[in-house]
Amino acid sequence: MVTYIVRRLVTAVLILFGASFVVYQLTALSGDPLEDLRASNAPNRDQLIQARTELLDLNTPAPLRYFGWLAGAAKCIVPFAATCDLGSSIQGEAVTTSLSRAMGNTITLVATATVLAIIIGISLGIITALRQYSGLDYGVTFMSFLFFSLPIFWLAVLLKEFGAIGFNNFLDDPDIPPSTIAVVAIASGLIWALFASKSWKRKGIAFVLGAVVAAVLLFLLDLVGWFANPGLGPVVILVTGVGIAFGIVLLTAGLRNRKALYSSLIMVALGLVAYYVVNPVLNAATIWMIIILAVITVLVGLGVGYAMGGYDRSQSMRAAALTGLLMGFLIVVDRFMVTWPSYVSNPRVRGRPIATVGAETPGLEGTFWINGRDTFTHLLLPTLALLLASLASYSRYSRASMLEIMNMDYIRTARAKGLSERTVVMRHAFRNALIPLATLVAFDIGALIGGAIITEQVFAFSGMGQLFVQALQRTDPDPIMGFFLVAGILALVFNLVADIAYSVLDPRVRVKA
Amino acid sequence: MSIQTPSDFPDTDAATVTGPERPASEPEAKGLSQGQIVRKKFFDNTGAIISLVVFAVVFILAFTSVGFAGIPGWWKYNHTEFLPLVNGGAPTVTGPFSWGDHPFGQDSIGRDYFAMTMRGTQNSIIIMFIIGALAGLVGVVIGACSGYFRGWPEAVLMRFTDVIIIIPVVLAAATLGEAVNRFVGPGAQIWLLGLFLGLVLWTGLARLVRGEFLTLREREFVDAAKIAGASNTRIIFKHILPNAVGVIIVNTTLLMSSAILLETALSYIGFGVKAPDVSLGLIISQNQEAFQTRPWLFWFPGLFIVLICLCINFIGDGLRDAFDPRQKKFSASRAKESGKPAAA
Amino acid sequence: MRFGRTSKAVGVAAVAALALSACAANTGTETTEEGTEGEATGGNIRVVEVNAFSSFNSSTSEGNVDINGKIAYATHSGFVYINNDLEVVKNEDFGTMEVLSEDPLSVKYTVNEGVTWSDGEPVDGGDLLLAWAIESGYFNDSTTDDAGEVVSGATYFDYAGDTSGLGLTELPEIGEDGRSITLNYSEPFADYEVAFGLMSEGGIDTPAHVLAEKGGLADEDALIELINTTPAGDPESPVERPEIQALADFWNTGFDTKSLPTDPSLFLSNGPFIASAITPDQSMTLTRNEDYDWGPIPKVDEITVRYIGEAPAQVQALQNGEVDIIAPQASADTVEQLEGLEGVTVEQGNQLSYDHLDLNFSGVFEDENVREAFMKTVPRQQLVDTIVKKINPDAAPLDSQLFLTDQEPYEETAANNGSDAYAEVDIEGAKELLAGATPEVRIMYNRDNPNRLNSYTLIAESAAQAGFKIVDGGLGSSDWGAALGNGTYDATIFGWINSGVGVSGVPQIFKTANGSNFNGFSSPEADALMDELIVTTDPEEQDRIQIEIDKLIWDSKYGLPLFQVPGVDAYSDNVTGIEYMPNQTGVWWNFWDWQVVQ
Repeated sequence: MVTYIVRRLVTAVLILFGASFVVYQLTALSGDPLEDLRASNAPNRDQLIQARTELLDLNTPAPLRYFGWLAGAAKCIVPFAATCDLGSSIQGEAVTTSLSRAMGNTITLVATATVLAIIIGISLGIITALRQYSGLDYGVTFMSFLFFSLPIFWLAVLLKEFGAIGFNNFLDDPDIPPSTIAVVAIASGLIWALFASKSWKRKGIAFVLGAVVAAVLLFLLDLVGWFANPGLGPVVILVTGVGIAFGIVLLTAGLRNRKALYSSLIMVALGLVAYYVVNPVLNAATIWMIIILAVITVLVGLGVGYAMGGYDRSQSMRAAALTGLLMGFLIVVDRFMVTWPSYVSNPRVRGRPIATVGAETPGLEGTFWINGRDTFTHLLLPTLALLLASLASYSRYSRASMLEIMNMDYIRTARAKGLSERTVVMRHAFRNALIPLATLVAFDIGALIGGAIITEQVFAFSGMGQLFVQALQRTDPDPIMGFFLVAGILALVFNLVADIAYSVLDPRVRVKA
Repeated sequence: MSIQTPSDFPDTDAATVTGPERPASEPEAKGLSQGQIVRKKFFDNTGAIISLVVFAVVFILAFTSVGFAGIPGWWKYNHTEFLPLVNGGAPTVTGPFSWGDHPFGQDSIGRDYFAMTMRGTQNSIIIMFIIGALAGLVGVVIGACSGYFRGWPEAVLMRFTDVIIIIPVVLAAATLGEAVNRFVGPGAQIWLLGLFLGLVLWTGLARLVRGEFLTLREREFVDAAKIAGASNTRIIFKHILPNAVGVIIVNTTLLMSSAILLETALSYIGFGVKAPDVSLGLIISQNQEAFQTRPWLFWFPGLFIVLICLCINFIGDGLRDAFDPRQKKFSASRAKESGKPAAA
Repeated sequence: MRFGRTSKAVGVAAVAALALSACAANTGTETTEEGTEGEATGGNIRVVEVNAFSSFNSSTSEGNVDINGKIAYATHSGFVYINNDLEVVKNEDFGTMEVLSEDPLSVKYTVNEGVTWSDGEPVDGGDLLLAWAIESGYFNDSTTDDAGEVVSGATYFDYAGDTSGLGLTELPEIGEDGRSITLNYSEPFADYEVAFGLMSEGGIDTPAHVLAEKGGLADEDALIELINTTPAGDPESPVERPEIQALADFWNTGFDTKSLPTDPSLFLSNGPFIASAITPDQSMTLTRNEDYDWGPIPKVDEITVRYIGEAPAQVQALQNGEVDIIAPQASADTVEQLEGLEGVTVEQGNQLSYDHLDLNFSGVFEDENVREAFMKTVPRQQLVDTIVKKINPDAAPLDSQLFLTDQEPYEETAANNGSDAYAEVDIEGAKELLAGATPEVRIMYNRDNPNRLNSYTLIAESAAQAGFKIVDGGLGSSDWGAALGNGTYDATIFGWINSGVGVSGVPQIFKTANGSNFNGFSSPEADALMDELIVTTDPEEQDRIQIEIDKLIWDSKYGLPLFQVPGVDAYSDNVTGIEYMPNQTGVWWNFWDWQVVQ
């Protein structure tokens, strides 16, 4: 295995050399960096052309110029020398500086969207596979393809129009007209009906139920002015927590495992207590404090599960830890919610919380909660756009993969053994369905750093994609090469990870040393 | 696409053990040839059939209305004429049979938007098919060879794939756009763009196919076929490939629909199809500012993008299910249902 | 009954929790007063720019990006600025510009007492001398070969502006008061008013004491000494000037940064605002320079600049109340959308760039009649109607090769240069001139620019009616620039930028065999007038000469100016004082008048 990895890494370096040469030549061929100056009537046009020619060394043929770049880039490999020189852009900024900044921005933007897309996409794929050719299947397929095929700038314009401008207008006077309640109720009913099983009667019940729940909820929230003054409060946290506990136990251990259920419920109770105990501390929260609290929660959960004992301790421990984590999440969400009024009324925000551009409100200084809020309101729309657009591929692949697995002999065997459908799906089918997806996920994470070119552009978010496109439009080789290096290295690494994951997940495939 | 010999896929699981003949095509009690099974399964799939019909309509509309390859079409305008603005450029269509002079309206300088949309649809479909066919073919061959043979062919092919993977697609397309502008002239750019994108987009498929082959080549029926003396080519194309068809079709159809979107994205940043020719992506991104003021400039090309994408994917889904040799349970339950009137 | 015990435990825990929640219902989630900074009196205005800030020195060829120039404009002062009627306005509060003698031209610049950099150092003669040394290219002694490679000597300060004006001056001396310099021109220079200390070019933007220190000198006096003693550049006999080189090296790149430097001397201000925070590639905040009282006093305390590239994104950000002022790339739809917004004021106008059709004075167009016939077919009004009208309803075809509609002499020159002959398309007249000939014309333009493509299509269609055989010579955006003047086409459509003030640009385009004279126009008479023009300092006289040149150009059937590119800006009703400005300073030109509606 080690020899294999080392060999792959060595080839990766060779590949980078080859590809970087190709990329450099492609860049040089892709345009004329002097275009704007050639058609200039500035009195000192010739001098400007000469200055740029010299800056970009345009009189040297591109194949030779490449080695100049390579000489600088090679210094990056020298360990601890800190002499990395990837050149600089036409505007004179060192590529290393702009790369590291763009990378940070891109990761904040794309990471959440990708992770959510993977989770939601795979869940949808699996559910639709289990309900093949049902209304749900067609509905989800239709919607995911619809989002997939909408040009993302179109999606962005819509999101901004309704998600930001419309919502902010609504917040000025948070009052929901009955017609809106009716529409939302019908939509919710339809979704419930889609999820319900085949018989029309049950679909009808689900529709009514969904519509009523949504209508009542909206009406109540509207009545208490929740939208201007949101929050969860102890009761909602408790109720949701119990729901979560049951849900988690159902999926991970089965409700018949009482020990697991009780440990989860204990975690809910502890969470509620923590809600009061921890609250004062949270005023001075930092990201590290939240992480530490999360770790403590997990440990307590494991402890409770362990203390409950039973024939399968690990199941109780897992369920309790997960429930605890989600309870903690609820508390944090509640906390973010109650900062809403003071965030909205901040003079920098001026009552328009959901933003359409950028990553932050310039000049906003506040607590962890306010700044977190700010990041959230800025990232909401671009994340949503990216998420919607990338759902389709994950749900399609996982649906196909799951369908294949569900027809396998060993699934039949598992059913024949009398295992519950939950066990068959979760333990036997699900895991194996993930194997072919491992490649896909590894790739997407590698490609993640490449940024989302158009999303970054329309949301005025300066990440890797924008860095790349702007350099390309100016025919500015150094930033392009920098982008290529980072994206290329990551792609190669995750390529390798995908191959190794494959052999780990599927014991039939062996990596040859 | 890469699936060109549907007529004689053997029923892999059982058939290969009995020998190199094709037992599936021999008449048995209620025997159907593989081709018949595939066709029957496909035609049973309502979604796929509807999509096929819709796509055919779009295809015919696009290619006959404004003509193709020098053959004139039946529509009175073409996509480059400047015409006086009628009705302020708003669409004149009022019903399915009363189209008016400019059913989809006119753009800001008076070109007929129906002609532009049709021409764009044509070009987008051409690009899509070239990319699908080329990327599908290259991806499957490279993926299959490296997954099946392993050893040095795998090493060479996969490292080659790596080189292609890490070259940014946008950069390749931009460079190509320049080259086309400089040397070929605008007439051939659609074909070249498709060709070029096809030649760089096969990598994902190749890796997926290789992954499938890595798993499948260890399966019992492959061993059985080997023992029975089947050649490598036969094992690859007759035994393993049909089992990998699901992934291949899903990937190729996704690739084809994303090809349209990729072209849109390229147009948006200025490196896609270039004027005076049009593509759906080009006109939609040229008119992105018109979203709120003259939405029809947005809706019509957008509608065709969405239609094509949806159709291709549903057709792909239908094909996947039809080809899957193991898919029995669901088609059986469907067969039961189809006895009832107006099922599905 | 172990299960029972556990149930009980769970029950007790739940009850305890509920009890707690009951007695502490109000303390449950408590928020501290989140720090809401008290709003200062003048308030904050948020303005959108397309490009991201990249340098505190906007005068180098790398830093010469519009946004850097605007930031420099807001953070520096100078002797003159340009208003939105494209007139030169003196800022006497900063200092005086005094013409000592007309011929030989001698101009004295004095900075007022009390004008300081934001670190307290006075703005003085050393700063002026340094600005002069940079902008005059005094030390440069490089020679280049045909390929543009430097063969000997060096260009020290990488100054993006034109050095030819101040290049006519000799080494100035600092006055007795230490706050003035006198520039003596070897010959009269037409654009002397805007040659030095122009605010839209950054004013007096490099603090000499900082550059001296960063460039390895002891202090500002050492810098003055160095400039005074180092020999002037002579390309014939280049010499090494290592100390100047060190200064220039720092000046060329030392101020380039995308984030706020920790060293405040790198972004000293001597103007109304000073940079206070930067988020790279996202936004930048300028706050009031408290010491500033030498010029128009701004009404707002803070300006936040946000960078948004896409026009639709700018419009929606304005609509969502995230920004106050935008100046998006103008398109008919953007304008219409902006006009549909409530609480938003839209300002439309022309920009300083204009599209024009040039005919080569060779090949098929060597015959003046053919040129005239072609010009008669150009549907200029139709071009304006289809391309510009929707963005700027007042737009009309441009009728002068030298003046823009926003300039005062425009009316006069348009009336007498003979442009009215081409106001209407005259196919019959063109056919007559052609007398049955069907010349083949190859038109070159940038195919990737939709406006040019549309212009080409309309022109080609019209010309074909008169019998011209039009060949589409459109090239991609990276090729057309290089093709200019290479003789592969007969006519070309592209754009020029008129600076709006000054006349140095005129000979660059129209003088025989000059750098940007791509179509081979050559008129000895016009050449002589242009030689006269660039040494004429009297504005009235300049206008008179230019009007004459304009007529000569039209008479020669040079080609046709088509239209000025329209521009637009928009602002929310929260702010007032914004006025449209055609030049590259844009809305910023009167930022001191911006005001937040309280």
